[in-house]
Amino acid sequence: MIDTGSWVYDYSSTFSHWLIVGIAVILVSFLIQRLLKKLGMNNEASTGLALIMPWFIGFLIFNVYPFVASFYLSLTEYNLLSPLSFSNLPELVGFKNYIYAFTEDPNFWPSIRLTLLYGLISIPLGLAGALGTAMLLNREVKAVGVWRTLYYLPAVLPGAATALLWRWMFNPSNGLINTLLSPVLKLFNIPNPAWFTNPDLVLPSFVIMGMWGIFGTTTVILLAGLKNIPNDLYESATIDGANQWRKFLNITLPMMTPTLFYVLITSLIGALQYFTQALFITTPREAGVFINVYIWQQAFNQQKMGYASALAWILLAITLLLTLLVFRSSSMWVFYESDVSSGKKKKSKAKIKSSAQGGA
Amino acid sequence: MKNKIILMFSIVLVAGFLLTACGPAAEPETSAEEEKVTITIMTWAGADEAAELQTVIDAVNAEATDFEIVHQANPADYYTKLQTMIAGNTAPDLMWLSAEYVGNFAKNGALLDVTDQVAALSDMPAADLDDYYTGPLNVANYAGKLYGLPWIAQPVMLYYNPAMFDAAGIGYPDETWTWDTFKDAAKELTLKDEDGNITQYGTAFNGWPPVHMFMWQAGGETISPDLKNCPVDSPEAIAGAQFYADIIYNPEYAVPQEVIQEQGFGEMAKAGKVAMFFGGAADDLDYAWQNDENNAKLVMALVPKGPKDRTTFAWTAITGVSTQTEYPEQAVKALVALTDGIHHWKVLAPRKSLATVDVIAASVPGKRDSAPVIIQAADSMRSFNIIPRHAEWDTIFWEQFQDPLYHNKGTAEELATEIRPKLEALLP
Repeated sequence: MIDTGSWVYDYSSTFSHWLIVGIAVILVSFLIQRLLKKLGMNNEASTGLALIMPWFIGFLIFNVYPFVASFYLSLTEYNLLSPLSFSNLPELVGFKNYIYAFTEDPNFWPSIRLTLLYGLISIPLGLAGALGTAMLLNREVKAVGVWRTLYYLPAVLPGAATALLWRWMFNPSNGLINTLLSPVLKLFNIPNPAWFTNPDLVLPSFVIMGMWGIFGTTTVILLAGLKNIPNDLYESATIDGANQWRKFLNITLPMMTPTLFYVLITSLIGALQYFTQALFITTPREAGVFINVYIWQQAFNQQKMGYASALAWILLAITLLLTLLVFRSSSMWVFYESDVSSGKKKKSKAKIKSSAQGGA
Repeated sequence: MKNKIILMFSIVLVAGFLLTACGPAAEPETSAEEEKVTITIMTWAGADEAAELQTVIDAVNAEATDFEIVHQANPADYYTKLQTMIAGNTAPDLMWLSAEYVGNFAKNGALLDVTDQVAALSDMPAADLDDYYTGPLNVANYAGKLYGLPWIAQPVMLYYNPAMFDAAGIGYPDETWTWDTFKDAAKELTLKDEDGNITQYGTAFNGWPPVHMFMWQAGGETISPDLKNCPVDSPEAIAGAQFYADIIYNPEYAVPQEVIQEQGFGEMAKAGKVAMFFGGAADDLDYAWQNDENNAKLVMALVPKGPKDRTTFAWTAITGVSTQTEYPEQAVKALVALTDGIHHWKVLAPRKSLATVDVIAASVPGKRDSAPVIIQAADSMRSFNIIPRHAEWDTIFWEQFQDPLYHNKGTAEELATEIRPKLEALLP
């Protein structure tokens, strides 16, 4: 008799199915390799293509298909209660969902506004904070490894856990922040701020909370960028009598622009996709909701998956647009050392050419 | 030659594997009793509730000859998971649904029409539809068909703190209480210290209890029974909404919003900071003090009477059968058997024959003293009239009527007139 209560029984069916899928994928790769060889491809190329086949199949199933399907669903009135199949396709409504979002939905623009404002405030603050922290961690101080580990710790904590932690810290009556602030505020007869419950303070609260994450990944990336700045630049500047501020302004900042550019792009995308913490912290309705949370609410609370898909595509378009703008602006402020080197080479080549011509 | 053999062997193997992997999942194990099929039920039960439910399920399974119920508890993000499972064609056979989800699930084909099958099982106690209270049973109906059985109907009751009433010299709430009596008492029970700080609140509203209840009590409706109109702008409906708006967050009678957000809604009543609190009949407010002396002693009473009647809102949930079930016959049998089991566990079972002090006390011993009042309230309990787009309807009703009304951004009449066409646009 099978012990239906044991975990081995619970998972054996799933395990065997996936084992079969795994073996099948390996065999398909093997068959493809043989087929490509038969078609005249050399051994190295056919083996390479066969080896990337599992990833390619996964990419098609788990990335391309949902991507295409979500666009199709954005043109329909779909909810999750009717399983999708070719015989049971949801009703096509054209661009109705998009038009509704832009013209009628009272919550769409406030959500976009809140999300963009969050990005507009938190990204520059975060970049400045992370750069400052990275510069501190770049100094040769005692136990610098410990400090670096400590600053990276927030990045390894789950978003939900940090959201709960911050919710407590922001508690108006017994949270850590107000406990620390209240003696000062009392001096000026100012009441304790009601962080997440006062609609005017919701955005600042999220921005402050967002700084927490910056000390993780962003600082580490910027630290790596700082390490890549050649020391001889600073040495030359010191000989020329440059002070610390001048060194920062003329060496550190320009040399860091490629890294800052990368971090800016990832922070921008991260800000537009802000979700976990916003989902876990209830805020007053008039403060608005972040667009990603709104998409989730439409999909699962309002059972409007088609509309939620349209909102997701609008978010994608906004993200693409802003990213493109940042990319376009990069030629004005991002400084690549390689450009200077190649520019020098071009210059010296031209010099050589002109001297040669002059010589002639 | 050797390569060709390997190639052919591989093709056969791949085809075989793919056919096996893509095929339907293996039939559920039936163990020694061949005829017993597995019926899964998905619920939002938390750890303690799930353990109690398992006891009920074990008893049902012991009696059953052709099915075995397996419980899948998903207390977090229940509806997200349930909808995703339905979309993936892996829905549980049975599922718990709160009233507001029934219409949408039924209309979109996620729930099985069990009208005939339940009628055929009328010898089982929970299949006798005449025994159900009308309000809760209506929740399981959509377009004249039955899509499940209600397993709970929790009428809203008025919990009061007798010590605070004694201190203020006010008589306890009883059947003579009307809206005016309630409002006057709430005002008298809101106390301030010498510095003007409020030390005790008369009552607490926070979107709960639902404003619908007061609109019904005044003779109004939010969605008409035939689902054709939303007469939220009728004088009766407006009277109910205005009564609610006059009290909610008003420090003369009730707890302000920011204090609720700081200290918790139900927690304030339990901690003895609120004199009168509207709670569900199953809430532990009337017996939690017996287990923990930090909880205030509260007593249950009927809700005050409105201009028309004493209708009380009943939070209702049903168990529905999925259209994706492989075993519809056994699933419906399991539904009826399990519903009867749950009716002997939860307060209040939505069946008239089970509305007795003994049954309620056997389900929840702490409720013995409150049982007579609960039974009395059951006669006038009802739920929402549910439409398939209820979630959207409710969002508009909250965001464009209730919320602005409670924050003085318009009168009940203005707001109701404005939202009525928007609400009616969502009717089936």
